[in-house]
Amino acid sequence: MNTNTFIAGRGLLYWFDARAKLLTVLLFSVMVFFPSQVVMLAILMALIFIVAWRAVTFKQALKPLRTLLFILVVMALFIPLNRRDGVALLVIKSYVIITKEGLNQFLTLALRLLIVTYLCTLYIWTTPMADINLSFRWYGLSYKVALTITLAFRFIPFIGETFTMIRDSHSLRSAHGESEGEKFHIKDLVPTVTSALVFALKTIPHLATTLEHRGFGSGLKRSDYKVLEAKGGLFIHFLLSAIILLTTFVLLNSI
Amino acid sequence: MSDYFCLSDLSFSYKGYGKTEKLPPVLKDLSLRVKEGSRTLILGPPDSGKTTLARIACGLLPRYIEGYLTGKVLLKGEEIPASEPWLLADKLTYTAQNVQEQLLMTTCGDEVAFPLESLAIERQALIERVEESLNSWGLLKYKDVNPQELSGGERKRLLLAVTAAIDAPLWIMDEPFDDLDEQWRQELKKRLLEKKGTVIVFASRYIKEADSLFDNYYLLNDTRLSEESRATAFSKLQALDRGTALNIKMEKFHQNRELRCEQMVIGHERRSTDSTLPFTLKIDRFSLKTGEVVALVGPNGAGKSTFSRVLCGLKRPQQGSITLDGESIAASKRLAQVAYLFQNPDYGIFLSSVEQELGWSLRHSAVHSKQEQIASAAKLFDLNLDENPSMMSYGKRKQLQGAVYYILNRPFVIIDEVDSGITSGDASKMVALLKQRGSAVVVITHDRSFAKQVATRQYKIVDGQIIESEVGQ
Amino acid sequence: MNEKTKSKSPALSIALMSILTAVVVVFTIFPRIPTPIHGYINLSDVIITFSAFLFGPWVAAVAGGLGTGIADIIGGFPQWAVFSFLIHGLQGLLIALIARAGLKKGVPGDAKIYMQILGGVVGMVVMTGGYYLVGGFLYGFKPALVEIPLNLLQSGVGVVLGIVVSKGVLKAYPPVRSLAL
Repeated sequence: MNTNTFIAGRGLLYWFDARAKLLTVLLFSVMVFFPSQVVMLAILMALIFIVAWRAVTFKQALKPLRTLLFILVVMALFIPLNRRDGVALLVIKSYVIITKEGLNQFLTLALRLLIVTYLCTLYIWTTPMADINLSFRWYGLSYKVALTITLAFRFIPFIGETFTMIRDSHSLRSAHGESEGEKFHIKDLVPTVTSALVFALKTIPHLATTLEHRGFGSGLKRSDYKVLEAKGGLFIHFLLSAIILLTTFVLLNSI
Repeated sequence: MSDYFCLSDLSFSYKGYGKTEKLPPVLKDLSLRVKEGSRTLILGPPDSGKTTLARIACGLLPRYIEGYLTGKVLLKGEEIPASEPWLLADKLTYTAQNVQEQLLMTTCGDEVAFPLESLAIERQALIERVEESLNSWGLLKYKDVNPQELSGGERKRLLLAVTAAIDAPLWIMDEPFDDLDEQWRQELKKRLLEKKGTVIVFASRYIKEADSLFDNYYLLNDTRLSEESRATAFSKLQALDRGTALNIKMEKFHQNRELRCEQMVIGHERRSTDSTLPFTLKIDRFSLKTGEVVALVGPNGAGKSTFSRVLCGLKRPQQGSITLDGESIAASKRLAQVAYLFQNPDYGIFLSSVEQELGWSLRHSAVHSKQEQIASAAKLFDLNLDENPSMMSYGKRKQLQGAVYYILNRPFVIIDEVDSGITSGDASKMVALLKQRGSAVVVITHDRSFAKQVATRQYKIVDGQIIESEVGQ
Repeated sequence: MNEKTKSKSPALSIALMSILTAVVVVFTIFPRIPTPIHGYINLSDVIITFSAFLFGPWVAAVAGGLGTGIADIIGGFPQWAVFSFLIHGLQGLLIALIARAGLKKGVPGDAKIYMQILGGVVGMVVMTGGYYLVGGFLYGFKPALVEIPLNLLQSGVGVVLGIVVSKGVLKAYPPVRSLAL
């Protein structure tokens, strides 16, 4: 099970400090939801796509679009139901199908969705998970919650693999002469889920005692093996963040 | 010299959930005295309570696993702070037999750093200690690699690197030589000899590194601990391992059936960060006839489990096909013909009693004598029908796995690492029982002498090829 | 081990929450039937319901919230992470609070299963409603209707299997009771 979301690379986005980047993504996403012109949103989306293309390959940059494709199609199909009282654009047999306002509404929603998706995705691709966790801590997330997240990531592949073995084990056990077709049957679902949960629960006492055995729980202030280092000083990164946000704000509110 | 570490009149039973409040005692009135700077070896057959004792000695039990403990554990004359285990972090390090129990982090560097962070070691010194410890165990290149991507032996070395980094004065190690290959076993021996501190090691098999390594030897058996000389400790252990002679009546149920693979190629993703290319296994010819026991040997990661998965239908080969009695048989059909007992017996447990688990195997059959079959299977494998499987010891859970498949009575059976976690005697018995009605049994093992004991033929995996070889080689 | 150890133990609560979070992630990503809009029909609700019944509001909220959030990030839907965190976190919290009410002293024995079912149903409403509201905001309220039947199915299956599996686990592994905080 692959829990790795980071795509190695170089460039501005990788240099950009995780904390400042996080703030940028958040505020940018919020700004995009305020009323603005479709044209401006389209320009922003195009710029973001180009940035994505530069950071990772073209094929990779298309991926978020692909995950959104179906919902965009569904949204497009619903256009005829939007704002039926507007300026007609497409009329078939005197029945208004698409209005200008309806199309506008679709494009606004679609572009917002694309922008926010691309921003979040680019953040994940260019920031290692450990750095994201450290950013949250810098913003105030407690060590305990950050540790819970790290431990969850540690156990996800382990439990995932175990789940596969458990599923296979039940398939083997259940197989009988007359069984046909795929190896995993729906009636094995409850046994498999039960076994998987028992297995997971059994690891909890060991995890708790290991944490304590390695010194966790004393309440003493811990030292830090890894810290975030903003190359060139954190101020420059937040300045960059401010520039991006201000430019976006201006663009969205012009006209 | 006063005792550095001392166990005094220790008795322990696990909590019973159900009919009995207390399960039978694992340890009774145990005492142990260890001098500072000494190296002690505690031997015990599987299921003797070694791991339980090790955990109690470190203050890890009974903390979140319920049990009844009487007696004392003393470090330098004082009782260990069982209610504040973090106080022991820099005084005592426990290296578990099951490495996965002790891995916390997503990179090797973080893993070594975690206890050092708890001890508030200053950052620069911390970074140096991490690199030094990883390097001393050959793992520096894996500093930013996820431990889940390492092989079993590499993960063991990671735990040893953590132990080295903390450098506590007392080391309690449960089967530390397990999983390590020759080079690193020698290295571990060297480190133990050089260690300025006290070491207690638990083991269940003969370790040749033990020669000239330990000062004191103990045998743990049947709830008691006794001091022995090196020779008697190992000879007694061996006797316990052999068990009693077998007397099993053979029946002719499965006869004259043959499973064959020819010119087969299997894709096998090797678990090691040295090579990320999927690796293939080539099989020129493999045959398995009912009534015989065949050993399958090879180093860790060679592909024994992968091959087994193909045989039983969980995986498809890239090339070649498998025939049963001369006719090609599809993967989905093989599931019911070829049993595969996973190395970990816990994957199949989900019911609350042995009786129910065994009964589950029979739920599809219309046989009238279900109860009898269940009862006789339980008897053959020394199981108590009322016991809850997840509360049983590891050895008993393995026996349960055997009993489950005994009832299923498949013509071909593959057992992965049958002899790990149980005595050789019990392992031989399991093989004999599974073979009882004529089934063919494939035994995957590391132990060449065990292979010689039970098998008549052998296949070996060498450089990605499965070839027939002489048993025990 | 005494009660004092348990209730004051940060290590145990962290261990419990992280393992259950990991299980939620695995069950969100693993057995899945693709629906194009948001991820897949998955078994995360089974685990959330299970956690709610056995371990109470905080564990269920964290496991449900963090678990589905992480699953969204890993699975390619990072824009949904925050919303899944809030929706499933609330779902876990409410199922647990309502189910717990059935365990109070002085309440008739039957009440336990009814409260569990009620909790489960409230959870279904929260989950389906939550995704509908957020979906409506993001895609428009009419397109968001499309997901409602699928979400009802997923959360409904979650409740039913959650009840069945909770019983099974309690029987198969009795020590689970001592892990509950």
